[in-house]
Amino acid sequence: MFRLTLRNLLHKKIRFAFTTGIVVIGVTFVVGVFALTDSIRSSFDDLASDIESGIDLTVRVPLQIGDELDRVRVPQEVADRVAAVPGVARVDGRIVARNTSVIDDNGEPIAPRGPPTLGSSWFPTQFFVVDGRPPDGPDEFAINSKAATAHDLVVGNTYDISGPNEQRSFRLVGIYNFGDPDKDKSLAASAVAFDTATAQEFLNGGEGFNEVSVAIEPGADRATVQQAVADVVGSEYEVVDQSAKIEETQADFGQFISIFGNVLLAFALIGVFVSAFIINNVFQIVLGQRVRELGLLRAIGATGRQVSRSVIGEAALVGFLSTVIGLVAGLGLARLLRIMLKSGGFALPDGPIGLRPRTVVFAVVVGMGVTLVSSILPALRARRISPMAALSDTAKLAKGSLATRARIGGLMVSIGAVLLGLGLFGGFDTKPLLFFISVGAIMVFIGTTVLSPVSASQVARHIGWPLQKVFGVPGKLARENAARSPRRTSSTAGALMIGLALVSMAGVVGQSIKETFAGTIDNSVRADYFIQSASGGFDPNVGFSAEVVDRLAALPELDLIVGYRFGLDSIDVNGSTKNVFTTDFAAGVSHMDPDVLSGSIADADPLGSILLHKDPARDLQVTVGDTLVVGFPDGEVEALTVAAIYADSTIYDNYVIDNAMWDRHFNRSELMFATATISGYSDSLPDDEKTALLASSAAAIEKVTDSYPTVTVENRVQFRETQQARLDSFLIVISVFLGLALFIALVGISITLALSVFERTREIGLLRAVGLTRRQLRRSVRWEAAIVSVFGALLGVALGLIFGIAAAIAIPDTAIKSVAIPWRNLVIYVIVAAVAGLIAAILPARRAAKMNILEAIATE
Amino acid sequence: MSLLTTNPTATDLVAARAINLTKIYGRGDTEVRALDGIDVEFHQGQFTAIMGPSGSGKSTLMHCLAGLDRITSGSIVIGGTDLTALNERRLTLLRRDRIGFVFQAFNLVPTLTALENITLPMDLAGTKPDPAWLDTVIDTVGLRDRMTHRPSELSGGQQQRVAVARALAGRPELIFADEPTGNLDSTTGAEILSFMRRAVREMEQTIIMVTHDPVAASYADRVVFLVDGTIVDDLVDPTADSVLDAMKRLGN
Ligand SMILES: Nc1ncnc2c1ncn2[C@@H]1O[C@H](COP(=O)(O)OP(=O)(O)O)[C@@H](O)[C@H]1O
Ligand SMILES: [Mg+2]
Repeated sequence: MFRLTLRNLLHKKIRFAFTTGIVVIGVTFVVGVFALTDSIRSSFDDLASDIESGIDLTVRVPLQIGDELDRVRVPQEVADRVAAVPGVARVDGRIVARNTSVIDDNGEPIAPRGPPTLGSSWFPTQFFVVDGRPPDGPDEFAINSKAATAHDLVVGNTYDISGPNEQRSFRLVGIYNFGDPDKDKSLAASAVAFDTATAQEFLNGGEGFNEVSVAIEPGADRATVQQAVADVVGSEYEVVDQSAKIEETQADFGQFISIFGNVLLAFALIGVFVSAFIINNVFQIVLGQRVRELGLLRAIGATGRQVSRSVIGEAALVGFLSTVIGLVAGLGLARLLRIMLKSGGFALPDGPIGLRPRTVVFAVVVGMGVTLVSSILPALRARRISPMAALSDTAKLAKGSLATRARIGGLMVSIGAVLLGLGLFGGFDTKPLLFFISVGAIMVFIGTTVLSPVSASQVARHIGWPLQKVFGVPGKLARENAARSPRRTSSTAGALMIGLALVSMAGVVGQSIKETFAGTIDNSVRADYFIQSASGGFDPNVGFSAEVVDRLAALPELDLIVGYRFGLDSIDVNGSTKNVFTTDFAAGVSHMDPDVLSGSIADADPLGSILLHKDPARDLQVTVGDTLVVGFPDGEVEALTVAAIYADSTIYDNYVIDNAMWDRHFNRSELMFATATISGYSDSLPDDEKTALLASSAAAIEKVTDSYPTVTVENRVQFRETQQARLDSFLIVISVFLGLALFIALVGISITLALSVFERTREIGLLRAVGLTRRQLRRSVRWEAAIVSVFGALLGVALGLIFGIAAAIAIPDTAIKSVAIPWRNLVIYVIVAAVAGLIAAILPARRAAKMNILEAIATE
Repeated sequence: MSLLTTNPTATDLVAARAINLTKIYGRGDTEVRALDGIDVEFHQGQFTAIMGPSGSGKSTLMHCLAGLDRITSGSIVIGGTDLTALNERRLTLLRRDRIGFVFQAFNLVPTLTALENITLPMDLAGTKPDPAWLDTVIDTVGLRDRMTHRPSELSGGQQQRVAVARALAGRPELIFADEPTGNLDSTTGAEILSFMRRAVREMEQTIIMVTHDPVAASYADRVVFLVDGTIVDDLVDPTADSVLDAMKRLGN
């Protein structure tokens, strides 16, 4: 029997290639993603050790919450005390800051595109000069060689550098490699370095170091020295050794890699999920084509068990081969992905790419698992094939009844819908709400998948109706062929459905965010100008020096300037870590109105109060006048009075403090963005006066910003447009997922269609004999694919709409206040799917048209 | 052997003619001369049967005449059109507009209803069937109440009748049938054959039918015998017995 299985596979090469090919795609995705993530992780782990090498001990102030850069500074005096400890070879005070951009010869700032732009003091143990020398003096700097090469920076030239506090000119005196004498291992977009005193003054605006690194004398016992240093500095400070620092750095990287890896994994899972549909389909079809042959086996004495075993055996062989091929192809995909991501601006290290045991296990689970599971049902059906099938012309595999399907699917969709409804409108807390919504969504999804064959024929006929009107017989054939096997049509369409559901859902969420944002700008924002980092938008790690704001504030054309900051996970409220937003209490409300429900912002005490959104106010059960105990990154705790509770969190988020309060507890001084109003401007002015005011203020602003290329100033209309464009580009990232799902679905459509065409050989021969031209035949195959695709697209868009609306309702008001649906995009998705179907059908259509009529007629 | 028919009911117009028709399959050692210099004419309004032992070239001749297969040398003329001069597309259109087909099995497109199958060639051409003629044809096949059924809902005999109706519906110059009754029991077969004969007698159709059944051949006006790709005999107004006799002669 096994020999027969083998024969079978070799005999039907094309069929075999198809089945294997589709499984290979799934395995390749999983392997590629795991291999790449592993490679990145191990290179980052190595990098972490490289970065921390040469630093035996680090002295710093402990940090409970907030950003690394918000650590309280270590004063020079502590460094001096450490230097005196026996066994200590050298002590370097380290200063680090973000948002330090070099403006190149073209006047373009080195802007962060993901990785930060760093500024620091010179680290003698980690910086290796490749050109020039280390910076030494108040007007000198050095830069890492990657950035120097990328931006054509030349030693000896003078460049403007925009730092966290101000912008100033420095002369480039050296180019260095970070972490390794031979290779710049820096991951930052750029890393500029100054001598210690300059860094202190220019980056930190004063005394002290972010941390102090200690190298111990060769031969000295590390633990002993560590203890001695700890004794000298006292309990205010912590002393960590190299391995602890390496672990910390690895954990930092790990966080980034996890996010990255999870996105990639989602990518792979979608790939596997979509290919599972197709694998299943192909198995069913292939088995359907073999019914007579299997019947013959039964007739000459094979038991039902032997038949089903041969079917499973074939699947196992396909699964095994696919796994092997997929493992190899996956390594290739990992390389390809890395090249793609790198060209897309990700700073990924070039480590070796290899297979870990876990990757192989997953590959086997996917490759063998999916094939075996897909073959179980057909194998059981094959067991029931009667020997009579050999004799019958129209023998078919038994199929489950559509009525049962309708019942099960209908039940699942209904339960899912009820759960969704409960989650959305039941007024539950976040946790049960998310549970209801996600379980509901999954039920609706599975139910729809179960249900779709029930309606596939009907729907396909409806979709195909206009084709018949336009194309006549080829249209009619396309329509009827799409409708003839509802199971096949719906599982082919299912592959497409997944991708479109994802993208439509993202589309609804994105559109809702966009409109919420637009609504906020229209209704709550009174400011006329918006000042932000040229590259950053609302990235919490990207900011600009307040210097430019001071210069703008000096302009007579502008009235008020308000700066805003944002701290991610930076305050402690009742034991849990929260984000914090800052503004100027006195002026902020007149620029951005958060819809105050009770209390007053303008009258609030900047150094004693906090503003709350109504949701956390409700959760914390506080009202205006109550006191909240708030912890800050510097370890200080303050009791703040709730001065106001507001309803609109789109801009202000949940917790707001005054900028003065921020300055008291945070080191970083950069602004995230700022707003300005025009002197004498009001919406009630006549249009020509408004235009004149806008023009004169814009000209005045431009004079200032011309010399600050790291900052952009936009009026209300521009601001709205760029923010929306930014959201759009985020949605484009989502469409990469569509691209992937679409690609696999395309392959699936192509394969299914090729098999269907093969199955209909005789029919095609007949049609050709009675006068169907090749062109008409190709057309009918192509439009059949289009109908199937549109069916999948419609299902996908419908599901995406439901899920998108559910998600939009579940997402906090900060981001989405009301649901908006991007109808135009949804229509475009369906059209794209139809076109994709047409493209996928090109090859099968050609194959069909090339079929020799006589052979086709003669085929049994 | 005379190539001219003496059938009194026939008009003298030639529906199809093969001139020195040769068809060779394969090359070198595996070369098969399926048709070897055939000269034959088929007249309008006649029902001709082509007979011969298995492998004698019956199907090949039919396929070549019908423009389904390319010939090696010689020429074929259908109603004045030389098939050798036509490209693939023109051949397809010729089949669609001027030729009807009935095959041994699998004659109907399973996704189309009986009526849609009947009008398929005309629908492909985008022409409207002549309603009166269509009515006549449907009444003649006697399946008016089955017109909205799909092939899977029809018996084998009914399917073949629908196939014949399709061949007739477009009033083609020529109808080819390859063992149209090969898959049917004798009663149903007889029904189809007499139906085909009526189409020739009463509707002035021209039919060329391949068969190896002497009884089937006896329904024809003329029987052409093929052996090894050449025409070896030509019977007019055959009966089952005269066909059998001829077969026995050829068998020796
Ligand atoms: N496609 C083909 N390739 C090679 N040889 C063929 C092909 N079709 C038919 N033949 C050969 O041509 C001869 C005539 O075949 P055919 O016309 O089918 O005979 P009949 O229909 O009289 O049984 C046979 O010897 C057959 O083997
Ligand atoms: Mg034959």
